[in-house]
Amino acid sequence: MIATIVHTDELLQTIAASVIAGVGVTFLFSLGIWGAGQFTELSRGKRPVAATAAAVVGVAAMLCVAGAVITGIVVMTHK
Amino acid sequence: MDSDVILVIVIATALAFDFTNGFHDTANVVATSISTGAARPQVAIGFAALLNFVGAFISISVAATVAKDVVDAEVITPTIVFAGLIGAIAWNLITWWFGLPSSSSHALIGGVVGSAIAAVGVDAVIAEGLVGKVLIPAVVAPVLAFLVAGAAIGISYRVVGRQRPGIVTRGYQYGQIVSGGLLALAHGTNDAQKTMGIITLALIASGELGAEADPPFWVIASAATAIALGTYSGGWRIIKTTGTRIIKMDAAQGFSAQGAGAAVILASTHFGFPLSTTHVINGGVMGAGAGKRLSAVRWGVAGNIFVAWLLTLPAAASIGALTYGFTRIFGTGALGPILVTLMALSLVVAAFARRARQGAPVTAAGG
Repeated sequence: MIATIVHTDELLQTIAASVIAGVGVTFLFSLGIWGAGQFTELSRGKRPVAATAAAVVGVAAMLCVAGAVITGIVVMTHK
Repeated sequence: MDSDVILVIVIATALAFDFTNGFHDTANVVATSISTGAARPQVAIGFAALLNFVGAFISISVAATVAKDVVDAEVITPTIVFAGLIGAIAWNLITWWFGLPSSSSHALIGGVVGSAIAAVGVDAVIAEGLVGKVLIPAVVAPVLAFLVAGAAIGISYRVVGRQRPGIVTRGYQYGQIVSGGLLALAHGTNDAQKTMGIITLALIASGELGAEADPPFWVIASAATAIALGTYSGGWRIIKTTGTRIIKMDAAQGFSAQGAGAAVILASTHFGFPLSTTHVINGGVMGAGAGKRLSAVRWGVAGNIFVAWLLTLPAAASIGALTYGFTRIFGTGALGPILVTLMALSLVVAAFARRARQGAPVTAAGG
């Protein structure tokens, strides 16, 4: 009875999607900021290889954020 | 003729409700962006209004829940919908008067459930939909936003903790343009759909639409316009009061709170759960505060929100039921709804005039 009233599957999917999107996107965005910060620091310290690696990590993280946001909106509009 | 008059009154009342929803909720949507300096007030409010409008078009799942899963559309009449709307508006006005934080969404659903019970009996209520799609998500969503925001801010501080504060603050401020935009989009899609659902329910009840019909385009467009105009109008008041009402948070906390709120609302909207967006956003803000320092959270405010949440459904339902009973004194025609509308308008004008004279702060009653 309770199982039929509670939309368990939909509720669990909502929880999973919220955690993945909320925590995951914030982590990736923070990684992007970390990459930008490290790039600035390492460039000043004349360490171009490490600076480039940090920049690549940062840019990749920001691209993932953009991809996640676009995916989220596309999923929303296709139901 | 009478049924057409009642239908017009219901649609006008629903759109007015939608306008006030946007008006009240502007604070929730733009507060963190303004507070952290991520956006100037005028820009944040204009952006929020635009994205509330756009958000209203991206889904109709919540509208379907409100129109078909809470009360039995086949036994509902436009007068029942009207009485429910008055129940919601009256409860919002009462909570606004006493400064209690409440949910417009729960008031709307409570009002319609109460008037339906008064008119038809408990059989008019779809218990499965009410409990499974409204009550349980209403409890889960704010807690989820709290936990997601708390976890997100903890991870943020861990990742960027050793970076220079300047670049971190600027980075999250830019991020808040996106997270604030997503939150406005999420607000528009969940809250505007409740009005769409109510208007659709009234159209089904009056025989203008079939029982399984989706909201027509003009309903979606008018609900989107009403909530966007409300957001834009409400914003100008917020410009003056933002500085005193909002808890100061850093840009990372603002980003985490908005991101968590948007994620929970958008995910819930996808499955057709009509949430209180106010409660979710407050949950996110509290989570972002608690993630940094537990004592940063105003637990008293959290308690008030909980009490208001407990009261909202039964109170709005009672007012909805009483309103329906009052309209029936004048028969089944348009006279009852017309009289109630005039009385409600008089009360609203009197309440606003008195509050304006007193100059007391207005606490947002949200979606």
